[in-house]
Order: sequence, then C-alpha cells, then structure tokens
Amino acid sequence: MAREGLASRLYAGEANVNVIGKRKIWFIVAAALVLLSVGSFAINQFHLGIEFAGGTSFSVPAKTTDGRTLTQAEASDAVERAIQSVDPNAEVGAAQEVSGIGGNGGSFTVRASAMTAQQAEAAKTALVEDLKVPSEAVSDDQVSAAWGGQVTRQALLGLVIFLVLVMVYLVVRFEWRMAVAAISSLLLDLIVTAGIYSLVGFEVTPSTVIGFLTILGYSLYDVVVVFDKVQENTRGITAGSTRTYSEAANLAVNQTLMRSINTGLVALLPVGGLLFIGAGLLGAGTLKDLGLVLFVGMGLGVLFSIMFAAPVLTALKDREPRIKAHTARVLARRAAIRSGDVAPRAERSGRNANVTESDEAPALASAAPRPGSRPTAKRNTNRSGRPGGAGNRPSGGNKRR
Amino acid sequence: MHPGRQLAVLGGIFVVLYLLVFFAGGASGSFTDRLHPKLGLDLVGGTQATYIASVQGGQVPSKESMEQARNIIENRVNALGVSEAEVVVQGDRNIVVSLAGKADDQLKDLSQAAQMRFRLLIGTTGDVSATALNPPSAAPSGSAAPSAGASAPAPTGSAPAVNATPSAGGQGGGEVMKAPTPTPTPTPSASAEAPASAAELATREEVQKKVGAAQWAAAEKLTAPVDLTSNPEAGKQFANFAKLSGTEVAALTAQMQFNVPTISCKQLDDRPNGAIDDVNTDAAVCYQSAKVLLDKAKVVGDDISKASPQLDQQTGQWVVSLDFTGAGSTKWAALTRQAFEATSSDPCYVAAQSLYGSVEHCAVAVVLDKSVISAPQIQGVLTGTSQITGQFNATSAKQLADQLNFGAIPVTFNSGPAQTVSATLGIQQLQAGLLAAAIGMGLVAIYAFFYYRLLGSVIFMSLILSGLLTFGALVFLGRTMGFTLTLAGIAGFIVSLGVAADSFVIYFERLKDEIHEGRSPRSAVPRAWARARRTIISANAITILAAVVLYIVSVGAVQGFAFALGLSTVLDLLVVFLFRHPIMTMFASTKAFLSPRVSGLGRVLRRAQTDPKEA
Repeated sequence: MAREGLASRLYAGEANVNVIGKRKIWFIVAAALVLLSVGSFAINQFHLGIEFAGGTSFSVPAKTTDGRTLTQAEASDAVERAIQSVDPNAEVGAAQEVSGIGGNGGSFTVRASAMTAQQAEAAKTALVEDLKVPSEAVSDDQVSAAWGGQVTRQALLGLVIFLVLVMVYLVVRFEWRMAVAAISSLLLDLIVTAGIYSLVGFEVTPSTVIGFLTILGYSLYDVVVVFDKVQENTRGITAGSTRTYSEAANLAVNQTLMRSINTGLVALLPVGGLLFIGAGLLGAGTLKDLGLVLFVGMGLGVLFSIMFAAPVLTALKDREPRIKAHTARVLARRAAIRSGDVAPRAERSGRNANVTESDEAPALASAAPRPGSRPTAKRNTNRSGRPGGAGNRPSGGNKRR
Repeated sequence: MHPGRQLAVLGGIFVVLYLLVFFAGGASGSFTDRLHPKLGLDLVGGTQATYIASVQGGQVPSKESMEQARNIIENRVNALGVSEAEVVVQGDRNIVVSLAGKADDQLKDLSQAAQMRFRLLIGTTGDVSATALNPPSAAPSGSAAPSAGASAPAPTGSAPAVNATPSAGGQGGGEVMKAPTPTPTPTPSASAEAPASAAELATREEVQKKVGAAQWAAAEKLTAPVDLTSNPEAGKQFANFAKLSGTEVAALTAQMQFNVPTISCKQLDDRPNGAIDDVNTDAAVCYQSAKVLLDKAKVVGDDISKASPQLDQQTGQWVVSLDFTGAGSTKWAALTRQAFEATSSDPCYVAAQSLYGSVEHCAVAVVLDKSVISAPQIQGVLTGTSQITGQFNATSAKQLADQLNFGAIPVTFNSGPAQTVSATLGIQQLQAGLLAAAIGMGLVAIYAFFYYRLLGSVIFMSLILSGLLTFGALVFLGRTMGFTLTLAGIAGFIVSLGVAADSFVIYFERLKDEIHEGRSPRSAVPRAWARARRTIISANAITILAAVVLYIVSVGAVQGFAFALGLSTVLDLLVVFLFRHPIMTMFASTKAFLSPRVSGLGRVLRRAQTDPKEA
C-alpha cells in the first residue's frame, strides 16, 4: 500500500486521511470563517448592483448634431467614459436602444449607479461634448430597483421553507443528527460564500442571487453522498466492537473522497468555463457573476461536506449514549488486546480476509482501520466468521478465474 | 426492466418531445423557426411601455404608492407566464415595463388601476347627444325652458334594447328586514357632492368660461335629464357642452354629466383614468350605450378577500367569483339589501326598470375603473360568495380575478406609446455563453475520457442527450408557457449539465467499489446500480424540493430560475434511469468492459486480482 502514491490511493478510495480525528481544528476554522463573514456583513455590507439599489438612467439620442448615427457600443462607451470622469467608482450598465414601434429616431438608455444631481449634470455635459449630441436631447432620470424588495422577501421565505422541509426529509431518510449536520454544513457554505462576497466586495446582481440559490441543492447533494456512505458503513456498528463510530465515519469520508473530488471537479469544470469566458473574454456581466458565485459556493460545498458535515455528525453521534458506550467498549477492548488478554479473532485472516465476523460488524484485524481498509459491512456476507469466505459472495480467494 | 425496453421508452419520450416541438403549441414558420427557444429581454430585446402616473390636484404620487404600483404591475406581468419582465420606476412618475419579444398586446392592460366599485344604479337616460344637438324639427328654438319637473327618465329612441336581465349569483336569502329608506335620490345639487379638489375647481371654472355663463347656469339647474320627447329643442341650449374634452367633462359634477343631454357617451368614455374612482361621489357612466347615474360606492375592491375565475356550469359562461373580507361582507350585505328591498317608487327601482324593462329589484353596477362590467339586478341579500357575470372569456375572467387579487394600483396611469428596445447583452454575449458551454462540456468530456476511458463516452453521450432533451423542452415551453431563456438561464443549464454528470460519477465510483471487492463486472453493475440509485434519488429529491418550494413561494426572476432547476433535474433523472443504466448493463456483458485499457476499471480489476497474493 505504502509504495503507491497518493493519487493511486485516492483512486482506490484508500487515502486514509484522518478527517474526523482533527475535527476540533475544522470546528475552529469554521467558527472563525463564520465570525469573519458575519463581521464583514456588519462592517462592509454588500456591494449591491443597480438592479437592487436603483440608480440613474441616461438617455442619449441616436443621432448626433453632425448627422451621424451612433451605434450601441459607441453610446455605451461614451456614457461610461462620461460617468467615470465624474465618479470613478460608478457602475455602468450596457446601453439599450429604444425606438418607437414606428421606428423613427431612436435613443439609447444606459443605467448607472446612483449619483447626485450635480454629478449627473456634470456627466451630461461631458457626454454632450464627447458625442456631439444636442444637449437638450440628453436626459437623466432616477430609476428604482428592478429587483424589488418583494422578490428578495419571497426568495428568503422560500429558502426558510426549503430548509424546514429538507430537514424533515433528511430526518426521515437518515436521522436527525445527520439532518442537523447536513443543514449546518449548508448554512456554513451559504454564510461563507456570502462572506467572501462581502469581504472582497464583489458586486451582487440578480445573477449572483440566482447562483447563490443553486448552491443550495448542490451543497446538500455532496453531503448526501458522504452521509449515504457513512450510514452504510455504520449500520449495526454497535453489534461489533472493533471500530468506533468516528473511525467508521472517517473511513466513509475516505471512501467517498475520490467521489467527492470527482463530482466536485466535474461540476466545477463547466462553471470554470463560464467564469473563464465571462471574466476573461467579456470582462463583466451575467456570466461572470454567475460563474463566480457558483465556483466559490460549489467549491466550498465539496470542502465542507468532507471537512465539516462529517465531523459535526460524529461530534453529535459521540454524545448519543448508545454510541458513547460502544466507543468505550471498543477502546477497552483495544486496550485489552494491547495487553494481550484477548486474542484478536480475525488477526490470522490477514488483509485479504475481507470478511466480517458477524453479519454487520467489520472484522478488520487491526485495532484501528488500516490504510486501505475496505467497507466491510455487507449484508449478505458469510455469517460464520470463517476466513476464506464460504459465503455467497466471491471472496479474495476465489476471485481469479 | 430489460435494458432495451428502457432505451425504447427514452426513445419514445424523445420522439414525442420533438413532435411537440415541431407540430404542437402553435408551431409555425419554417423548419428552423420552430426550433427557436424564446429568448429573454437581455438577449434579443423586446417591447417597452412607459406608464405615466396622472398628477391629481398638482400632486406627484408618493414614492411609496409608486413602489406599490410597481409591485402590482410586476405581479400582473408575472401572472402572464414564466417570463422575466423588468419593471422599474423611472423619475418620480413613470413606470417602465419591458418584456422580451413582441408583446404590445400584453402590455396594454397592465397599468389598469383595477379600482373596483360597487354602486347602486339610480338613474338612466339614453345617450341622446346627437338628437339633442340636431332635433328632428328643423326650426330652432331659443327659449325652451329646462323641463325641470320631468319625472322618471324615459328611455328614448336611442336607449338600449332591453336585454335579458343579468343576475347576481351567489347565496341569496337571509332574513328580510324592514327596508331602510334608500337614501339616494337623483336630485342633483352641487353642495351634496364631496368637496372637489382645488385643481378640479380650477378646471371647472375654465369649463364654465368655455360653455358660457348662461348654459352653465341652465345645466346647474337641471335636476333630471332633459326630456327631449316633450321638447325636442331643449337640447339646443346645452350645445357648448358637446365641445368639451374628456378631461373637462370629468370636472363637472356627476349630475351635470348625467343630466345635460348634449354630453355623449363618447365624452364620458374619454374621461381620464380614475375619473370616477372617488367613492364619496355619485358617478355618471355609460352602460350598454345608455348613460347611467350611479350612487356613491358602498363596496370597493379592497373589501374583496379573494377573486377567482370560474366556469358557470349551468350557463357555460365564465364568471368571476368573489369572497369578501369580514367588513366587506357586512357592507356588501347592506348594499344588496338596499337593492333587494327597494320599492317600486325608489329611484333605483325606476332606473333599473327603464334599463331592463320589467324588474323586481334594484340593480348594482360593478364598476372597474371607468367602465361598468355588469349591472345585475339583485335577487337577494347576499352575504357570502358572489359572482360577477359579464362578457368574460377564460382569459378576461382570469385577468380580472388577478387584478382584484393583486389589489388596486393606488395611482392612475396613462400609458405612453409602446417602444421596442434592443438587447442589453446581445448576440456576442449569447455566443460567449454558448462558447463557455462548449468549453465546459469539452473539459468534462476530456476528464471523463481520461479518468474513465471508454466509459467516458457514456458520460459524453448522456450529456448530449440531456442537452437535446433540455433544448426541446425549452423550445416547447417557451411557446406554450412563455418560458423565457435569459443568459443567466443558459448559464444555469450549463451548470446543471455538469451536475448531471455527477450522478454518473456516483454510479461509477460505486461500480469500482463493487469490483474492488471482487465482484465480476457483470454482477457488479446491478449491485452498484441498486446502491447508487438510492444516493442519486436522495440527492436529486433535495434539488427538486428546492425547485418546487422556490417556484411556489417566490416571484419574478427567482421563480424562473426555480422552474429551470426543476426541469433540468427531472431531465437528469430521466437520462440516468433510461439511458445510463441500460447502456451500462449492456456494456457489462461485453468483453471490452474487462479490458483495463478500455473501461478504466483496469486498475481496480488488477488490484482486486493482486490483493490475494499479499495475504
């Protein structure tokens, strides 16, 4: 085993990273991240786009005084220049051509972030000079937010209802501890993603909010994959006494590590494509906004499903009396083995004896799961505990045909 | 199920979907035209309408009422379908609505205030403006006294033919109480009116100048509509009133508008929006091409708790069913009692009789903004659910119900011309989005081939299949439901394709586990499937839950997003169950599957085979 590299061990699901054992570190890191994020919400707040905050709308005629007709790009650039000469930090949207249904003499409207009347006046003057358009035809207006408060309120209400329902679903599908762990991991993901937005000062646009909601499903998706494996590995764990719940969970995390990395990569590749095209080729806009929030949120989702959800689960589980007693029993037994009181039963079967000593309990020889241990809680394995596997399942011995 | 059968089901779905795309839901145009999804405002531009709030009494509407109006208009736009409209307040009195594509028709009624009023019908007279100005006898007569003592307004030749009496449905009955003496009388007097606003008084003065003092005084003296049958020349003295504009007519008292014979229905219809919204004054309005006088509004739209369109099973006509609030139903009962218990000498009884011929009870007019939707005779004291009948079809009944449910817009608007607007992002951005999609898919495919070898081709094929299914669904839903695809939506679908590839990874990693444990590929496939299926269903169920909750609860762009999320997840499940699994089952029975170079399972297989030696 040791002679193989990490990549190979990952491939086989045998990375044996001790995630659960270091859970205190992850909790401290998570707490720090949440504090940082919440602090940033209070101090930095969010940099809201025009769609949320409203702004100023400029209207520029399409025809210049010397009879030329402006293109959309020209109008857009000129307004941006004019506005940024007044307020370098202003956001300027893309120009939109407005023309009557008859099609006579259109104009362009460009939206920019809110500015004072003086600023707007200065920008208008600059614009008239720059484009040589009749000054009386250039106008500015305050525009309200297109994304009303109602949309945000209803979206938040939807979020809360979703969290409640998904909690119920997870309790039914798994158990309440797993539900709590999954939801807290999701919340951590959302808070930290929002925190990064607040901290770095990325602009929040409707695309960002929509991307943010996409994280909801995705983040839980990852957690469900991990917990599914944990549940499988720990089914009936208290019947045996070779492995604690935490160890079994750690094994599950390791076994799903490759899967998590794979699913994460596969999902992040298209998002990366979006981000690359959106930010690299186009500079700004919908694609960048969406790509960015998804990249951050999904990346963190994968990370937290491993580093946070599973540790929270074990922390909760270790408080459960049944599990607590079981852990104590396993540790006591281990101590006994070390002092030679009890002969470890499955020792002689060695690594290949991928066999369980009972229906459910893993029979790995060593006291703690070794690198490369495989999931062993198989339902239809041989019940005898005999090595060699005369059960109804191909075992190590007769694999080759 | 046999893998072949699953593939056949998928093929069936595919064929049906594309048959729908090409031949159903109003498909028209050339072969390629039918393949266009409905693109959003940001990508292809659209239609924009500006609604200008009317300034009442020189006052610009408050910011709050403009925001409230914006919300109501946005709700109405969204009730049209899953389209992503943009509604903003511009300046202090304009609301600008932009919709994708050509949408002039949809933009027409959006700014309707939807002020609903229930008013007792207390007077009726024909629209006699034409005869009043040009009496049949050619001889002009200069000194006809106003026939002040005229009794009930007699329907003249131009009065409407009496139609079948519409009736107010709903649970009638209730105990009969002593009828309270109906207060309204058609006695006009300016002092009985609620005090007019300063602006209205100013306009009224101007009108007074325009029509001349003599005509004004004569009109003010009228207590009932001029009876032209007894004196055909009587209309002549009001000739100047025929020249007034709608706004000027609106400045007159309701009684003047009603009594002066030269004021035509057209002039009444031309009054600005909101002209008869005031609940504390009577109102003159045209109904079935007769002029009718209506009492003060006793019940208003805010008294309605819920409105819903319904198809009346008996008549086969669309009606709007109304539920009233607690206070509203008390008021509604009082109003209907007044109408129900009126005696034959009550003005409302006389008015209803002259409009409908024989009646037994008074009629209550249902007024929406400037027009009477219907004026049913009241058949009982109504306390609970009631219905509005009228010339509704399914669309207009739903529209009225929506308008009542979303509430009345507190500001009255006049709509400016509809304009076309160009895309803000345009084709370059769309192309960039598609390029990003291609790059993303390419990366996923390369990764899949690198990691899973030939099995990568299963991922690749299923991605293409998902893409085609999604595209077909988009085209069809765009046409039938107005589902609009914005750039954000396109990006969302790209992401969802990546997430869809995830479920394959889950399946395949499971397969590796099984083989690692020493199963033959052929037996590993069904086992891995059974376990992966559980995980995939759980994970997708959560996503669908998110989509359904957000779709029901949220509004606007978020709702559109939720729809796209749900759609792509359902399609993902479809592809997983009906394509990947049967393909893998078939694949597992081939020899190539076992070859390390081909399947990407080689390392696992090799490891599974070498493990025993270590022992």
